[in-house]
Amino acid sequence: MTDAAGNSVVETRNVWKIFGERADAALEAVRRDGLTKDEVLEKFDAVVGVRDVSISAGEGEIFCIMGLSGSGKSTLVRHVNRLIEPTAGEIRINGVNVGELDAEELRAMRADKIGMVFQNMALLPHRSVRDNVAFALELRNVDAFTRNGVADRVIELVSLTGYGDRYPTELSGGMQQRVGLARALAADPDILLMDEPFSALDPLIRRGLQDEFLELSASMKKTTLFITHDLDEAIRMGSRIAIMKDGEIVQTGTPEEIVTCPADDYVSDFVAGISKLRLVYAHTVMEPVEKYSANAELPALDACPHAHPDDNLDTLIGLAVNQEHPVIIMSDGKPVGVVTKDDLLRGIQGES
Amino acid sequence: MSADDDIRGPFLEFAGPNGGYYADVFLKIQKATLARWHLNPAALIGSFVWAALRGNWILFTIAFVIDLVVAVNAALVYKFAKAAVDNSEKAFLVERYEGWTQSHTVAAIVLFILGRLFFAWLADRLYVGQYSRWRIDRSVNSGVAASRLVIVALVSVLIIPAMLYRSTQFSPDARSCIKQDRAIDRGEEVGFKDRFDCFVIGEFPTLFWIDRPDEITYPRGDDGSRIVKRTPPREGSPPVNLNTFVAQKIDDSVGYVTVFYAFLFDEITRLLRNMLTAITSVFVGTPWPVTMGVLLFAAYRMAGIRTTIFVGASLIYLALFGFWQTAMDTLSLVTAATIICVVAGLPLGIWVGKSVRARYIVTPILDVMQTIPSFVYLLPAIAFFSIGKPPGILATVIFAMPPMVRLTALGIRQVSEDTKEAALAFGANPRQLLLKVELPLALPSIMAGINQVVMMSLSMVVIAALIGAGGMGYIVTEALENTETGRGILAGIGIALLAMMIDRVVQRATLHRR
Repeated sequence: MTDAAGNSVVETRNVWKIFGERADAALEAVRRDGLTKDEVLEKFDAVVGVRDVSISAGEGEIFCIMGLSGSGKSTLVRHVNRLIEPTAGEIRINGVNVGELDAEELRAMRADKIGMVFQNMALLPHRSVRDNVAFALELRNVDAFTRNGVADRVIELVSLTGYGDRYPTELSGGMQQRVGLARALAADPDILLMDEPFSALDPLIRRGLQDEFLELSASMKKTTLFITHDLDEAIRMGSRIAIMKDGEIVQTGTPEEIVTCPADDYVSDFVAGISKLRLVYAHTVMEPVEKYSANAELPALDACPHAHPDDNLDTLIGLAVNQEHPVIIMSDGKPVGVVTKDDLLRGIQGES
Repeated sequence: MSADDDIRGPFLEFAGPNGGYYADVFLKIQKATLARWHLNPAALIGSFVWAALRGNWILFTIAFVIDLVVAVNAALVYKFAKAAVDNSEKAFLVERYEGWTQSHTVAAIVLFILGRLFFAWLADRLYVGQYSRWRIDRSVNSGVAASRLVIVALVSVLIIPAMLYRSTQFSPDARSCIKQDRAIDRGEEVGFKDRFDCFVIGEFPTLFWIDRPDEITYPRGDDGSRIVKRTPPREGSPPVNLNTFVAQKIDDSVGYVTVFYAFLFDEITRLLRNMLTAITSVFVGTPWPVTMGVLLFAAYRMAGIRTTIFVGASLIYLALFGFWQTAMDTLSLVTAATIICVVAGLPLGIWVGKSVRARYIVTPILDVMQTIPSFVYLLPAIAFFSIGKPPGILATVIFAMPPMVRLTALGIRQVSEDTKEAALAFGANPRQLLLKVELPLALPSIMAGINQVVMMSLSMVVIAALIGAGGMGYIVTEALENTETGRGILAGIGIALLAMMIDRVVQRATLHRR
């Protein structure tokens, strides 16, 4: 995984957002007394949107922020391009404090550095697909010839070739969201903010777009903050996941960490329904060789199937089927662990 | 049996005394088996007292009003019967009063019977609504409480004697009341009954009399410049009421402004006249075949062939009946007014659409502009700009501007927050947001506003003919003065065709654009 502390592209430091007339007083009280969301609403008539959130996403990483509606995930991501001003805390993009930019610098950063995709597309209905895609460039006063060229290339990238002269309303939902994605990519930003981009689409199209986005992302190396309320999607897309509840981050980690070691009941409830086959790896379920040989005799290496520590449960099950012997986990040509069928079953259950 | 008790339980609890009856009725209402002519006997007899005891103030008001109307009619019977006796020497008065006595007697009886029946029919049907509210909120009145009769007594004491007294007396006329006021001022003796009648019956009493203000004129002084000259009112001239006083003050201020800022109004008049001359030279100054051809071509380009045929037919009507020049005159006025409305209304509309404070300031002004009868605009227009076309245009602009502002603001406000947010997220500055997102998305609404402006300008331009704006309206006003029905109708049709023609073209043009 990316070393987030070293070269984070997007970073939030202790960001708070409280909505309401008396936000500052509420913030002070919350910090002092640790009030809950409901208490703040009652006492200050203010809503805690984001509560002391620090995250950082490294270059090329897809950082998923997952939470149910009202958990503050959309609010959090809007702080990154300062569509919402934080009540406290700071946001850094490539080390630059976003809060200190003046209006023109901020506009330049939004146009050049950050692309955003919205759940409801928010395309401009009076502009053709090409003009929608070229919107960010047009706002930066790029001449029509150049921006149309760029737009056409990006349209091709999201497989909408030939649709440039149509109006958005003539396109299906999935295609409209491709336009949304193309618009975000057109200015070649470093960062993509994706606010539940695929939530409004039906499952098949969503799946297709997820795959396409993963491919694009792998080739383009854009740092992405990906918001979703769907844990399956978060696990599919994210290199790391932050789970939010009531404005707070409950847990941050790789998909495997989230699934195998949920931080609390809230997360484990979410994780309960998730298939672990592709998320749990040999090194988590195996018994170290020494421990195994203390209780039983290690079978002959040649008789056993071999696997790598980074192989997932799915692979291990494939190897273990029709085998009397346990699977030996080999690293650098040496056996490091043993996975018996009991270990496998425990691993599937999630109690490794 | 216990299940039935369970169902009836809340009804009994709600209704209190005589709960069994209401439980039966409410159950029937819920089962939709209540007889069509079901009446509540208690309500039939008790009327508003019943409603008050049950704490249903809606029913109370209904019953009270019904009974009050009956009582007033009865009082009128008494009044006219007495008047017939008092004036027995004058046969025609006796006949008149006896006729009135009779009709009010019938009214009182019929209203009493029908009103009570209606109320008794309505009573349970509304009372069940109170039950439903009580189910949700237990603080809603339930049961029977004698304490509520206090309110009945209070209301009755306040209303009934005054109403009955008023109905049994002939009201004094306003003039005699004013005379009486003066007499009181002079210290003469006036009976209590006369004072009371003037104060309570008839027109709202004039509470304060104000000394007649100085008459102000603005004659030229010795050096030829205007001076303010105050003439005190004649000795002993009577005081005036608030209306006269304020009207006089308004007249004075208008007079002052017109006299001392004449250069300003002259300048505006000159500007308007220049603008109008330019437009008129296009519509009127061009030979009719050219104008007609251009109009038809424009209609075809903007609205298609069917509308063009209609426009052609309308133009031919105007031409054949000899309205060509006047119609083009009217069109020039409408064009001038519309241009001013759009140029001034669009920025104002954008401002109102974007700023909440602007909305609070401008909306009431627009309401006033739209609700004041259009004729009223003519008066200040004349006062400031005298008569002719320029004040006509100004009156038209005031009348026709509100929809432009309103619909522009509406269009701007209707642009969804999401779309604006997206534009901001891609780095739009406020100007770009307005020009590239908000205005294009508000365009349909703005076009509707322009259409409204054109229509309203046309109707106002006709009225503005009263102050010399000329055009089609002049023919209509002239016909009105000389009762030339035929001419008036022909010109009226011409105006209608003109309006429909513009409306069709503008609407079609907006549709085509989409």
